[in-house]
Amino acid sequence: METELIAPAATTILTGAPSTQDAYLSVAGIAKSYGSQTVIEALDFHVRRGELVSLLGPSGCGKTTLLRLIAGLVAADSGSITLGGRELAHVPAHQRNVSVVFQNYALFPHLDVQDNVAFGLRARGRPATSIPAAVAEALALVRMSDYALRPVGLLSGGQQQRVAVARALVVNPDLLLLDEPFSALDRKLRETMQIELKALLRSRGMTAIFVTHDQDEALAVSDRIAVMNAGCIEHFADPATLYARPATAFALEFVGLSTRLAGVVRHCQASVASIETACGTVSANADFRPGSAVVVGVRPERIRVVPSGQPVPPGWNAVRAPLTDVVPLGARTHLYGRAGKGNAAGASVGEGQGDGEGDRLLCERANTEGGMLGEAGSAVREGEVLGWQWPVADTLVYPAWTA
Amino acid sequence: MRTPRTVDGFVLLAAPALVYLAALYALPLVLLLLKSFNAKGSFPSIAGYTEFFADPFHLKILWRTVRVALLTTLLALLLAYPTAFVLARARGFVQSLILLALVLPLAVGVIVKTFAWSILFRSDGLLNKTLLAIGLIDEPVRLLYTETALVISAANVFLPFMVLPIYAVVRQLDARLPEAAATLGAGPVFCFFRVIAPLTLPGVIAGSAFVFSMAVSMYVIPSLIVGERSQTLSMLIARSYLFLRDEQLGSSISSILLLIAVSVVLGSSWLLRRLSGGKT
Repeated sequence: METELIAPAATTILTGAPSTQDAYLSVAGIAKSYGSQTVIEALDFHVRRGELVSLLGPSGCGKTTLLRLIAGLVAADSGSITLGGRELAHVPAHQRNVSVVFQNYALFPHLDVQDNVAFGLRARGRPATSIPAAVAEALALVRMSDYALRPVGLLSGGQQQRVAVARALVVNPDLLLLDEPFSALDRKLRETMQIELKALLRSRGMTAIFVTHDQDEALAVSDRIAVMNAGCIEHFADPATLYARPATAFALEFVGLSTRLAGVVRHCQASVASIETACGTVSANADFRPGSAVVVGVRPERIRVVPSGQPVPPGWNAVRAPLTDVVPLGARTHLYGRAGKGNAAGASVGEGQGDGEGDRLLCERANTEGGMLGEAGSAVREGEVLGWQWPVADTLVYPAWTA
Repeated sequence: MRTPRTVDGFVLLAAPALVYLAALYALPLVLLLLKSFNAKGSFPSIAGYTEFFADPFHLKILWRTVRVALLTTLLALLLAYPTAFVLARARGFVQSLILLALVLPLAVGVIVKTFAWSILFRSDGLLNKTLLAIGLIDEPVRLLYTETALVISAANVFLPFMVLPIYAVVRQLDARLPEAAATLGAGPVFCFFRVIAPLTLPGVIAGSAFVFSMAVSMYVIPSLIVGERSQTLSMLIARSYLFLRDEQLGSSISSILLLIAVSVVLGSSWLLRRLSGGKT
């Protein structure tokens, strides 16, 4: 089935991307392949001064390669990288003034904490008399002053990370790159370190790029998030926009949870598409050619679940589907519904799409007073057919995956 | 009182080797040491040692032996160090090929290899002929019977014992450490001396200890390459036993040689322990 996208409403609204004028780091048309395998293909990426940005994507999406290209640890096949107006393409890594906090930190095992931190200063030939004070200041910044003489092998994961950050910051880099900096830490420590590091980078006005596969981490530390997939940036926006209006079906799937319904556009009038799905017809603000196969997405907190047959407010979509799972999550509860087979569109487009999962309805409810299903007025049982309602304005539509 | 049973049954697996070593190595060694203090019936006597150290000829040989061993170790190190990196970086077939090239010559006897070198070094040998042909020299230079030839051929024979310990360390080297150094502003030279060299030092020490202790006690190679012209300690030992029939001198020199080799091995393992002490 031919899928033709005319202009999806979702992508035209947003893009907080800076113009190339106010970019501090500018990656333009960069490409990298290993043999026949293209890792990054003609990628553009612009970061403002003082911005904290995350490259978010699954493993193998090219995010680490992009980081290594910016750091100068691998050479690009083509394209340019400018930092503060300086062209970096042919500048070797050690002359770029771009620091990296490596995954697992790559501390020098033969040096103690203070010599690790002093390494960059010595490498830059700073006068020996100025080094102890700078090292002491950097260690104070990460609250590691008491560990200056420790061998790094005796430090815990969190302490090693602090040393790695101090070592990277003490040379006052123009740009800080962090490759999965929190992945080696346990969950509690990770959250503490994220808040701490963000505050530290902010206070220094540092421009930093985090590479991560963890969406919570990206949301916690960044001003803007670039969702990467297969060597391309799918969507680059602030966390709120990224969540509310993901530019692509991949970004929708990768960041946060959502309802996902396969459908076919029946007709499209005045930028409102009418889409037939396995559990009913829904409307969305989008321009698609009739007959296009699409995926409908809705964020879970936008959906409300009501007893079947309850009237639909104007400007709302409503479908009927059985409740399959109720997952209590403490402050919230997730209600899952499955679009029934045998409905008109279900058989033709509902199967074999995306990552193999079928259609799915997901509603997130805050567990406030009044119970889990306060709006519905009564407790629901799994298997019960319910009405699932959400505003047309919150209906996201993407061309069906052609993976 | 019964001793608590703390010895693991596995230790018994080492028993055959222990018995073998005790009978064929430890026992003769003790006899050798005893004999070095036995001067024609009077025991103990340090006459063998005083006789050795009183003779300037012997001291000259001692110094030459140590010097040749040091130069051999140095040459082997210079050749082995880059090789170890190539070997560690190589993959699959190429790596097997290099390993084979290193290990296969061990299967060829030392005597065969040394004869090969002596043929190359002869005044009408391949080296001289080549040098003459390209006009670098006008008449054959003496290569055979020189210390240079000895060092070159010894370094060749012992090379694998230098490459393999360094390779073992280089292979363990975290590839991100040089990268981290580069992103911190370290150029290649700074990175080598502050990161690569210190981290590969254990391999260098181990390899040097191997090669030095073998080079200081080598017998076949100097016998064939330099002959009686400039002796080494091991040749002097053979001479003492076989020609001079002076068992006390022979066993004294043997003990001195043993002392040198043992102190190098112990010294290097002490250094290695010290180096790894702060790491974990």
